[in-house]
Order: sequence, then structure tokens, then C-alpha cells
Amino acid sequence: MRSKLSQLCDQFPDLKISFRLINWETDFLRFFQSMTNYNISKESTSLHTTIYQDKRSYSFTMKDPKIDAVKAKIVEAKEILQKLPADPNFIDLEDDTRKAKVITKKNNIIEIKLEDKTTILQQLADMTAKYKFKIFGTFICNYTIHTTINSNGVDKQEISSPIYFECKAVADANQVTVLEVFGGEDFSLFNLETFEKSLETKIQAACNEVVDVEAGKYKVVLAPRCIGEYLGYLSGSMDASTLDNGQSFFEGKVGEKIFPENITITDSPAEAEMINFSYDYDGHVYEKTPIVEKGVFQNFLVGNYYGRKLDMKKNGGEAKALIMETGDKTLAEMISGIKNGLFISSLHYMNFINPQETSLTGLTRDGTFLIEDGKITKVVNNLRFTVKISDVINGIYAIENRSQTIPFSNNYGEFGIYSTKMPHVAVNDFQITSSTHTI
Amino acid sequence: MKELIKSIINKLDLPTITYADVRFTSTDTQSIYFEKGDLKHFSTDLDSKAIGIRVLKNGCWGFAGTTILSDESIDKAIKRAITNATLGSKFRTKPAVFKPLKPIVETYNFLPLEDPFKMNDEEKINYLEKIAKKLVGNEKIVYSNVYCELYRQHKIFTNTEGTFVESTVYDSMPMMYVLASNGKETMCRTYPGHMNGHRGGFEVVRGTEMEKHTDEIIEQAIKLLDAPRITEERADIIIGGGHLALQLHESVGHATEADRILGKEISYAGKTFIKPEMIGNFKYGSELVNIYSDSRDEHGMGFHIVDDEGTPGATVDIIKKGILLDQQNSQESAAILGLQPTSNMLATHGDDIPLIRMTNFCLAPGKGSLQDLIANTENGYYIDFTKTWSIDDNRNNFQFTTEIGWKIENGELKHIVKEPTYFGITPEFWAACDGICGEEEWKYHGTFHCGKGEPGQAMHLSHGVAPARFKNIVCNVKA
Repeated sequence: MRSKLSQLCDQFPDLKISFRLINWETDFLRFFQSMTNYNISKESTSLHTTIYQDKRSYSFTMKDPKIDAVKAKIVEAKEILQKLPADPNFIDLEDDTRKAKVITKKNNIIEIKLEDKTTILQQLADMTAKYKFKIFGTFICNYTIHTTINSNGVDKQEISSPIYFECKAVADANQVTVLEVFGGEDFSLFNLETFEKSLETKIQAACNEVVDVEAGKYKVVLAPRCIGEYLGYLSGSMDASTLDNGQSFFEGKVGEKIFPENITITDSPAEAEMINFSYDYDGHVYEKTPIVEKGVFQNFLVGNYYGRKLDMKKNGGEAKALIMETGDKTLAEMISGIKNGLFISSLHYMNFINPQETSLTGLTRDGTFLIEDGKITKVVNNLRFTVKISDVINGIYAIENRSQTIPFSNNYGEFGIYSTKMPHVAVNDFQITSSTHTI
Repeated sequence: MKELIKSIINKLDLPTITYADVRFTSTDTQSIYFEKGDLKHFSTDLDSKAIGIRVLKNGCWGFAGTTILSDESIDKAIKRAITNATLGSKFRTKPAVFKPLKPIVETYNFLPLEDPFKMNDEEKINYLEKIAKKLVGNEKIVYSNVYCELYRQHKIFTNTEGTFVESTVYDSMPMMYVLASNGKETMCRTYPGHMNGHRGGFEVVRGTEMEKHTDEIIEQAIKLLDAPRITEERADIIIGGGHLALQLHESVGHATEADRILGKEISYAGKTFIKPEMIGNFKYGSELVNIYSDSRDEHGMGFHIVDDEGTPGATVDIIKKGILLDQQNSQESAAILGLQPTSNMLATHGDDIPLIRMTNFCLAPGKGSLQDLIANTENGYYIDFTKTWSIDDNRNNFQFTTEIGWKIENGELKHIVKEPTYFGITPEFWAACDGICGEEEWKYHGTFHCGKGEPGQAMHLSHGVAPARFKNIVCNVKA
């Protein structure tokens, strides 16, 4: 199919054609109450095609495409194209023909058998049962081949096979919940003993008394997942399209010191232990890009369309591999330095109030704990916060000396998985606006 | 295709399989998107076929779906669905139960007034382009877009109980958006708002009359830049239909999905504050609050003959006079909770597993017009057009921001306020409902994008509501 699509580009020299062929498979085990909920296997092949002529464009998608049908559809699309208004901002398709370094990947759907997954889950279920907790979650493996071909000679292929294992332990008595996750593309990095021990430690903390706290400003320790999620939300502002749309927090701030000196953030798609990416959607090499260096904003993430429209240098960045540089504190030191504060494990249902000013609201979940006199002492009901992400980052006064890979899912369409690598951070004046009174 | 579907279900009619169903969908979508007055994106995805096979074996569900309809791929899917159930059952302590269902054989075809897939593309584009061009030109409007999503789905459902139902439906969702800036901050306005999806063809797009509202949203977005915020700690609020639909969706709709009670959605969507023992006695709202699930109303996007496990469409009271009576459920969860199945198991495409989903989830009308309700409000705010929504893991604590609000003084609308934000605890909030407008104000709002499940599915569903008033709500929340 790949070579035939290239040939089709040559057969229509009067058009600019862009093809994106996706062969996608997933194996998806969902579990609840320490037993299987359901197992899903899915596969699909889809071809996304856009044709351009004189700044006019038309796109179509075909499932399970056959080359003759694609050709016929292009002929039909040419007719449609003539009747469409032009987009004056379209300049050209992606023209980056460089090839990224090939990273060999196994198909984790084949590597990690369903029997192996359930054996792992049984061991974790047995451990949690001792504490009267049950496990809930998902164990996902994807295998995807992305092929990007266009009339400018771009011909790229990328294979990815991410793993996303999320295991929540939920107390039978009161539904106190804690979370342990593994993500990446190399399952040999998964150590069941370490995973189980970490989950058990969290369960032990979750067995403490449950309390509520008042609204107000707190010193908090944010787990890697939380700061990763905040940066994920902020990444919208890093994108050139948002700059063009007038909604970027970073507009006019390139080279400006906007965060504390200890903040360095990079989009690093080939980092070890993370889910790796070689190309962006249009086939540009996904380059390692500094976003913030020692508090100074460095670069927007720039793809083909807006790079050309705004005359910005393309870097293929998509914020799918954000890394925050580690600091010099251990997690224990960060907690022990707090007299009265909170430890927040995970965030839930965030939504911007005003993206340009980075104000949003959201909630904590899967383990919020009270820190008293330098120790985690009690479980806290889930809390609502209403903050500006920029204030949260500006409030970071300590950063852990190690970081963790945290997987996130892009839960629509062809289910995608990406990751961040983040340390724990300690933040001043984190604004809690209400309690949910539930756990 | 019918013969293929029948041949698959016949292969699954085995003594070792308790129950099985097969779904085929062929989906057409078209998306037209103008940005800053120019056509940025025009795309179609026609005749997108998918098949899903679900089996219950040894008390465990297995599922396989594919968009590749070769014999080889379908055979592989059949085997994978069975294998997934067989292997999954080894980590299953309580078997899933599926009670026998009466077979239904029926066909349903919705006929739109203007079939968007038979219309000339130029006509649709010209119509939207005129609107898009009206949104540009004002120097304070830094961004605008106009879009519509058009959808048709043909579905064949069959199961081992003997049900065979074929249906075709059309849905459409138009919207426009402007963003105003004064160089310091930005404010937005949409029309007709985020809950803008409806059953129907291009007549839905025309019916919104967006062209008549372009000047209004431009003017309001610009005025919002200099508008005050709500300063009162608490206030009475009247919520307009578009936003109330989302309030209903988040704080009642999702909260009353039985899979959340059982923890089946903990890993992603979350739980619910509702416990099984609360069904039949819990005070969820004031006596005015009557909420029901209605998959039998053809006007809403949640209509169906049978759901995606063969349960016939149903109208079910979820909350009656403020008391929680029932849950949206499936065959399996109904059996666990001792309830009757409510016909809420649905999947987005053939290759998606069915989940408990809202259908037409509605707040029953009260009495009187919106004008009457405002006139009877001494001091408060009328708010509408969703900007931000957020609700906790248990669907108990929510916070919403709308794009715009109007101060009400002595029964009259006064000046506008920017980003009105309110917060509440679900049962306290619905208990504070002291007025719901009547049938003349009641209408369907809907979305194409209700996300749930893993892998994620985006569902089309509708909410019938009329504007309603809530007393003494916390309004002064900001970052």
C-alpha cells in the first residue's frame, strides 16, 4: 500500500496530496472489583487523505482502503475541490524529507499475553485483599503503524507499541482510592515486585482516618502525574495554532523569564523509558525542543500549517513527551519540610476558565493526604482547586531529585498513549476552593 | 450485509456461549469548518464500516471489533471475542448474568427534511461561508470560527435471543464562536452554545438561524471585556436551557449510570456518590424535580428501537418529585441491583463495546415562561452558554462557568456580567431548584461528544430541559 500511495501522488501532478495511513490494533483488559470487567481486541486500517489545489483543500477518510477506490475518490474529490472557497493561509504541504533514527519496537500485544496480564492482576488482587481493598483499572497494549506520504516527497513510517497499565486499589469500606501506573514501550522495565510494593505503601497510607479540609491556600506536594497533567494543559498555549488563535499564554514571551530559575521543560520524543515518537502528524521530524530553560520561555511547538502561516521555524513538536528537569530534594525531604499541607496524587476533570490566563478548575482524586509536622497522617476527601497554572509553576519551591514516566491516554479515535517524565514538586499557596465531601 | 451478520450470529449460537450479539454500523460524517472567515477544513468520511462481536462465556464478557471486513478478519474477530471471554473468566469471581430477552425484529429509518448527504456541497458551504464572513472585520474580534458536523449511521443489530433490528438515523451539530480581545484579556461567545446537536439533517443547521445572531455575539463578546464579575458570595440563578442541559448531564445523568455504582468506570470516568441502598428513597432534589430517561422519543438523538444488547427502548423515571427512583442500567447491572433493564447499553460504532449511556435524558417541564420566571426574581442572575465545566469523581462537587450572565434586579434583566462561575454539591443544588419553566420553553439540546469508556467512545445524546431557577447558589469563585 505504501508504494502505491507514493505512486498515486505522481499520477496527479496537478494536485498536492497528503496521505496518512494508520494500521491500529489494541488489546484492552478492563478490571473491576478484583476481577475481569471485559476484554477487548480491536483492529482498524484507515487512510486520511487531503488534496490541495490553488489553496483549496478537501479531506476524506476511508476505512480498509483499496488503492483503486482511493484513486477513484481522488478523481471525485478533484471535482468537489473546484467548487470550494480557497484558504489564503495555506502555503504548501510538509516538505521535511529527513528520516528520524529508527527505533526497533516489539509488538506488545503479542509480547504481553492476556494470561500474563491476569496473572499479574491476581497477584495484586491477593495483596490488596489483605487490606480489604480491591483492584480496578486497565491494562492496555497498542500496536500502531503510521505511514505519512505526500506529494513533496515525504515518505515516513513509524511504529509504536505503548503499554498503559493503571491499577487503582479501592477500599471496600469507604472507597478510599490509590493509584499505581506503568507506561512505556519496553515491558522488561516493569518490575511487578516494585509495582506491588509501591501500591502497598500507598494502601497503608490510605488506611488512615479520612478528614475534610477547609478552602484556602496550602503548601502542597504534587505527584509527578499532577505536574505532568498541568503541563499537558499548558501545552495548548505552547502550540503555534493557539498563538494564531489569540489564546496563548506565551504570546510575546519568547526569551522572557516567566517561571522560576529551577524550571526547565523540554519536549523530548526519543527519551529512554518513555513512549517515543519520530514524526509529527504531517511527517516532520519530531525534534527535541526546549520549551522553558531556567524559567525562560524558549520555543513554541510548530507544525507545518501554522509554521508557514506565521513564518515560524517548524520543529514537529506535539507535547507528547514533556520532561521537567529534576531538582535536588528527595520526596521525603519535601514532605518533611511541610508543617501543614497536602500531598496530591492525581487530578481529575480539569477545564480551563480562561486559557489565555491559564485559569482552570479541577479536582484531586486517587489519594489526597494531609501532611502534618512533616509526615503524611490522614486521608483527605477529594478537593476542588481553582488556580492559574502559571501561579502553580511560579509557586514551585522544591523539585525532587528523580523523575517518573507517567503514561496518559488520548482517549478518542484511535486510542493513543503518550507519556511525560516528571518529578514530585512542592508548591506554595495552592488554592483549594472547596471540598467534595466524598472520596 | 444482513446475511453476513446473520452468519456471524449463527456461528456464535453455541451451547458454551450464554449470550452473544453482533453489530454492524456504516457511518457517514461530514465536517465543514471555517476559521476567521476562510474555509479551513472540509472533510468527509463516508460508508465507514465496522463490526463488533460480544460474547458472554463462563460469566465473562469478551469483545472484538474490526473495520476490516474480510472473511479472515471477521473469523479472527469471532475467535478473539470468544478467547477474550474464556481467558478473562479465569480472573472473574462473580459471573455476569444476562436474563433471556424477548426477540424483536424491526426496521426504523429516520427521514430528514434536508438530507445533508444528498445535498450539493456548494450549498452547504455557501450557507456557512456567509455566516463566517459576518464574523470577521471587527478589530476586537481576534478569532472566529463556524462549523457544522453532519452525521448518518446505518446500524444492524442482532443477538442470540433472536432480535434483528436495522435502523438509520441522521444528526447535525452547528456552531459559531467569536473571541474578543482588548490586548489584556479575551472573552468569547458562542451560538447556539455547546449543547447544539440535534436529530435531523441540514434543516437543523438552518434552524439555528446563526446568521441572525452574528452581530449579537460580536457585540456581547466585546462588551464582556469591560463587564463586571459577580461579586455576591451567593445568589439566585436562573440557568438557560443550553447550559442547564449540561448541568443535568454532568450532575444527574452520569451520576445515575449503574456501571459507576458498581465501579466499572472507576479507572477512567469515575464513580458516583449514589449507593444501591439510596435507590427508592434518596432526596436528590426539590419536589419540582422530575427527571427521566426516554429512548422512545424520536425527536431526540437518544431514540432507539432496541439498545445494543436488545433491550427495547424505554421511558423510565429516574427522579420523581425529587426522590431517586432508578438508574440507567444494562441487563447485567440491572440484575445485580435488582432493577428492571432500562435500555441504556449503547456503543458509538460497530467496533465499540456497548456501555451504559444516556439516551434522551430529560428534566420534565414545570410551569410558566422564562419571562415570568425572571419577573418573579427579585435579585439574581440569568446565565447561559457554557464556558467551563468540571465535576468530581463522585459527581457530587461541580463548578461551572458560563460565557455570559445578566444581572436581575426587581424582576428585570440589567447589565451583563463576565464569566459567571458557580459551584455546588449535587443534591443540595437540585434541592435548591424552586422554579422550572413550562412546556413552551422546554426543548432538546444535545451533544455528539459525550466521552466515556476505554477505549474512548463519543456518544450522541439529547437532553430535554426548560430554564430553571436555583436559590442561594455559591457564585463567587475565581482563580
